[in-house]
Amino acid sequence: MVVIAVTGKGGTGKTVISALLIHFLSRRYNLLAVDADPDSNLPEALGVKPRRTLGEVREVFQVSRDEMGTMNKEQWLEGKIYAEAITEADNFDLLVMGRPEGEGCYCFANSLLRGILRKLMRHYDVIVIDTEAGLEHFSRGTISGADYIIVVTDMSRKGLSTAKRIKELSSELNLNFKRIFLVGNRIMNGMGEDIIKKFSDEEGIELLDLLPYNEDILQLDIKGEPIVLIGENSDYAERVKKIATKLVGDGNGKNEH
Amino acid sequence: MERKKIELPADVKKVESVGEEAEFPFDISPMYEGERIRKNEMYVELGGTEQPGFELVLALPEEEVEDMKVTIVGPDLEEMEEGKAYPYAMIYYVAGSQVETDLEPVIERRNHDFQNYLEGYMHLNQRYDIWIRLGKGAIKKGLKSLVQIAKATMMLFKNELPFIEKIETLYITEATMVEKLLNEVAMPIYDERDARVEALHDEDVDEFYSCTLCQSFAPTNVCVVSPDRPSLCGAISWFDGRAAARVDPEGPNRAIPKGDLIDEIGGEYTGVDEFAKEESGGEYERIKLHSFFEYPHTSCGCFEVIGFYMPEVDGIGWVHRGYPEPAPNGLPFSTMAGQTGGGKQIIGFLGIGISYFRSKKFIQADGGWYRVVWMPKDLKDRVSKYIPDDVRDKIATEEDAKTIDELKEFLKKVDHPVVTGVVRPVDGKKITEGWVEEEEEVVEEEVVEEAAPAAQVQPVQQFPVPTQQMQFPLQLPQLQLPQQPAAGGGVRLVIKDAKIYVDKIVIKKPEEKKKGGK
Repeated sequence: MVVIAVTGKGGTGKTVISALLIHFLSRRYNLLAVDADPDSNLPEALGVKPRRTLGEVREVFQVSRDEMGTMNKEQWLEGKIYAEAITEADNFDLLVMGRPEGEGCYCFANSLLRGILRKLMRHYDVIVIDTEAGLEHFSRGTISGADYIIVVTDMSRKGLSTAKRIKELSSELNLNFKRIFLVGNRIMNGMGEDIIKKFSDEEGIELLDLLPYNEDILQLDIKGEPIVLIGENSDYAERVKKIATKLVGDGNGKNEH
Repeated sequence: MERKKIELPADVKKVESVGEEAEFPFDISPMYEGERIRKNEMYVELGGTEQPGFELVLALPEEEVEDMKVTIVGPDLEEMEEGKAYPYAMIYYVAGSQVETDLEPVIERRNHDFQNYLEGYMHLNQRYDIWIRLGKGAIKKGLKSLVQIAKATMMLFKNELPFIEKIETLYITEATMVEKLLNEVAMPIYDERDARVEALHDEDVDEFYSCTLCQSFAPTNVCVVSPDRPSLCGAISWFDGRAAARVDPEGPNRAIPKGDLIDEIGGEYTGVDEFAKEESGGEYERIKLHSFFEYPHTSCGCFEVIGFYMPEVDGIGWVHRGYPEPAPNGLPFSTMAGQTGGGKQIIGFLGIGISYFRSKKFIQADGGWYRVVWMPKDLKDRVSKYIPDDVRDKIATEEDAKTIDELKEFLKKVDHPVVTGVVRPVDGKKITEGWVEEEEEVVEEEVVEEAAPAAQVQPVQQFPVPTQQMQFPLQLPQLQLPQQPAAGGGVRLVIKDAKIYVDKIVIKKPEEKKKGGK
């Protein structure tokens, strides 16, 4: 199992990169896509209509639990997650975490969730998690860790300062990750490239690639169409494919990393 | 309901097999737990949303169970069409000298675990909700018949639960029979089990369960979950505690051997006291599970409802998290929760889970429902059916009273038990005197003074300030007393070994001399 968490400041294009990674990797691997950012639109980027979010299932659990009698609550919750919170796309499964919890005590519900997700996740070859910069699901332990963290940044100062914070946070959270990488995105000029390269050197985060600004992606985004339609052989897609291969391997069990 | 074998019609088409299977064409291991079989990898689906299904364990006398026998009624795997869903009933007859009806649900629950050990077999849910998927991969590897599934499951049952001496299986995939048995046999048994829960009390079990899931927020809090007292967060019943403790005996839900009964009415046990002392790091030494005033259960921070004593009416009010307005004592849920939470015993406040209102022992030491004077309408409606008929209409909501004065008037009008004195139903003892007339108030106060020898050290009491002087709550924050507790408008009073009947507290500016009483 390889767990890849893609994160970064909102609007840097982490969801585009997540979606393309999922698209390529799910052809060769048994893959679970996780949308762990309440503000993101990973399902749309993938062209999948999700069923219920995990948060919604948890709310149903909170209000129904008093009526469960002697039924086993863990089994109840697990059944609901498998049946309703996981959406089967053609090549992969999608889990949308949804909104954070409301008022009241979620200790028990979250403790059950952690156990259920751990058992579920270990059966996938690859898990790609699109997560907000606060890494909330990791800090709460609903998602237990990641092998690789990809921090996506654009040329903005804010993008880079968020990247720096993520690096600090991911060390503090004890995620047991193997590597943390940086991907520059929406790079429009040499100055942007230089800034990100310099940042990568200073912070000691390996730079995987500097992806260009892409007009087609913007158009797809505006129309609300799946990002994966940008075309297999576009330069942008090819470069994300390379990142995928570097992280997971070529599908024949070979990991180039 | 009587336990007996399912009678199969004489002419029914069935497959039978007896004895252990030497080999299985699939792996068996806990590592397959959680494996989700996707729709396009599935050979067939059993039960689930499209077809009826259920699982049931029946405890039978030893002579009636034919060990390791399987009967399959209806189409078997090889006769099923790929990609389709079929009805599915899994019935297990079990016998053993220790196997009793009470154990049926415990055994039945393990069907989920054991069947998920089988490679290529996904089992979800329970009872009448079961949902099974069989993977194409399993069929390719040689799975031909449900007989193989049944034999593997029975083997696991016997290995993992050695008290099962004999086990026999009946699987049915024929729709009319599954539906008929679900309605006529399984459902009445599930209902019977749930009814037993209502009838299960603290005295019927040997162990309670702890919950320390919240200790990250409230380090000295230990929730004690008993049949008559669910967790404060409302999430964990005694059955949940038992299930969790079996899976992980050293986890957040551990068994607490009850020990000896110290106080039957208050609900105090030596085992609980010892456990509380140990787990709280000596913070407190005694817990009475069904008492509001004496050694009450600690409150974590997760509780759904908080109870608060109102000395002016000598009654208890309850307010839930979702009610934003101040309660008649002038304090909203959040303020009271802030003062009470954190794993302390705070006399005068008690955090509970909503399901504790269902308990037959609900604060029974302090009069139970007959001591309850106020709750928000929302909350009252939710638990209305658990309130005894003769007091239901006497409990005020915000529609009847929003302040202490209004509450007093209401209680008087409906002749609430607190007005004339509460007789607690559990033993018929009169536990409160009722309201004392105005003139006698001074006398009452003196009683308080006398009853305070301060010999024993009691937990510090945090007393909410706006009691009678409801007209001045806004002045209170200006006092700026040193060492003020965090919650707004609170004053800290230390009162030792006393029953408190305070009619009025007057607080004046710091430079003036403070006086208690009137």
